[in-house]
Amino acid sequence: MNQTVKSKWATGPAISIARRYGLAFVSVAAALGLARVFMHFHLPQPFSAFALSAIALTFWYAGTAPGILAAVLSSIVRDYLFEPNTSTESRLLFDLVFLVFALLMTRVARARNQLELRVAERTAELTQLNDDLKREIAKHNRVEAELRLSEAYLAEAQRLSHTGSWAWSPPPGDIRYWSEECYRVQGFDPKGGQPRFEEFLQRVHPDDQARIAEVIERAVRKKEEFEFDYRIIHPGGEIRYARSIGHPILGPSGDLVEFVGTIIDVTDRRQAEKERERLREAQADLAHASRMTTMGELTASLAHEVNQPITAAVNGASTCIRWLTRDDPDLAEAREAAAGVIRNAKRAADIINRIRSISKKGESNRQLIDINEVIREIIALLGNEAHRYSISILTDLGANLPKVMADSVQVQQVIMNLIMNSFDAMKDVDRKRELAIRSRRTEDQYLTISVTDTGVGLPSEQTNRIFDAFFTTKPHGIGMGLRISRSIVESHGGRLWAADNSPHGASFSFTLPVPVEAPE
Amino acid sequence: MSCHKAGKLVAIVDDDDSVRGTLQELLRSAGLASRAFESAEGFLASGHQQETACLITDIRMPGMSGLELQARLNAERCRIPTIFITAHGDEEMRFQALRAGAVEFLPKPFDDEVLIESVRAALER
Repeated sequence: MNQTVKSKWATGPAISIARRYGLAFVSVAAALGLARVFMHFHLPQPFSAFALSAIALTFWYAGTAPGILAAVLSSIVRDYLFEPNTSTESRLLFDLVFLVFALLMTRVARARNQLELRVAERTAELTQLNDDLKREIAKHNRVEAELRLSEAYLAEAQRLSHTGSWAWSPPPGDIRYWSEECYRVQGFDPKGGQPRFEEFLQRVHPDDQARIAEVIERAVRKKEEFEFDYRIIHPGGEIRYARSIGHPILGPSGDLVEFVGTIIDVTDRRQAEKERERLREAQADLAHASRMTTMGELTASLAHEVNQPITAAVNGASTCIRWLTRDDPDLAEAREAAAGVIRNAKRAADIINRIRSISKKGESNRQLIDINEVIREIIALLGNEAHRYSISILTDLGANLPKVMADSVQVQQVIMNLIMNSFDAMKDVDRKRELAIRSRRTEDQYLTISVTDTGVGLPSEQTNRIFDAFFTTKPHGIGMGLRISRSIVESHGGRLWAADNSPHGASFSFTLPVPVEAPE
Repeated sequence: MSCHKAGKLVAIVDDDDSVRGTLQELLRSAGLASRAFESAEGFLASGHQQETACLITDIRMPGMSGLELQARLNAERCRIPTIFITAHGDEEMRFQALRAGAVEFLPKPFDDEVLIESVRAALER
């Protein structure tokens, strides 16, 4: 019972000084109490045994100094409270026993303290080790998670770009790495495991196998990069187009270790390119047809208009010759006829210079049209053409523009002609190629549409001549586009003019009148 | 209404003033008198068809065309030797005109000798 009380008290490594010394007093007091109880029941004198126990306990739980205190206290208590009448010798003997016991206990306590210290040290070491290990594991987990994420991103990128990656050692080696996307592109089942090189080759179109084998063989021999296009026949019979690129990895002594590379599925890209090419051809055909139609109509009208005065001029010349070659030449009649020739020849020239009249006579289908819609249609049509020449098209279309009464096909021709001219002007310049189309309501009763480019600009000192028929700066042009465009615009009651665009390029603008009661 | 070829008149039908005028001058320089009309309708209304010995007409004109004029005259049993002059002549039109009794089909501009020879031939019929 004694023991349990003390041990409870003594738990915990850090007992305060007061507690430790207190233990000395309490344990000796307890010994004294017990001894008194024994005396009460007339039991044999037991204090010394209890005191020794108290000393031992104090040493064990409270340390050396409190233990010595307990020994001293025990000695005092015994000498003065229990046996005050004993002889000096016996008192000394008892004191000696306590002293020897205290010394022994000192040793025991010290040994125990050392042991505890060592255990604490080892425990600390182990705790440290454990913490390190935990940190290491956490770090490893983090790195692994990052790696997994990075791999997931990479796999996604491979899927999106239809690009697989591989590593391959030349014979006697084989395929060493084969990414997920490689399986997909090449038509292998990932469950079937990494394919062998022969299996890869079997999937290649028979017509491509020999060529590929040769390319690879040469790359291995020369330890150089390789690249080839080939067809893959998937198990379902579907043919895919692919391109593979390989890069040699050399060892420290320059020997070939392996090739690492990619397989790219280019089927969709090829398809898209073909589509684009077809679309471009269709657009070119359309633009050509449109130009030819305009030209054809114009030519027919022009021929008819010009033929009349030419006929009259020829008649006049014939008449003139007849008057002159008569037996009796009539100079007055001849002069009159020659004057007619001049008049009619001038009229023919006038007609050629006034092609505007032709477009007025031409069949025209005028309706209320949304000019912005016309512009957007043309831009959609010419988008690829612009892309082909790296030209960016900027649009700045006015909001809520009123509709105008116009022939949409003719207006399309005008805008298309201006844009095509701008494209031509920018094809060969090295600076930024930018085409800006703008539509605005100006002076209240007009819409102004302008096409501005960063091309070669207008021919100097010839700005006015560009609208003349048959004037051209292009090697293959016929010089009708701007002339016709101006005729069309003027036949609609508008104007078409050109200006330099600072610092580079040209700006063409035309107006179309807004109907008086235009529906907004 | 029948048509008696009584006169020696050369009639010119063309909507273009300058062609019409210079044609008349050309014939005059060859010693041939003529009357000019600016439309087929004008010629028919003039009542000169009976005395016309030779008709020179354009094909494409506003209103009645030269071919329609020819058909109308044929329907009236008034077969005037006709010379077509046109800026738009194609082969089909040419066959149609010749089948209907045209004596000549000349593209504009034409050779004055050929025209005058044809006119003279028509007058001598």
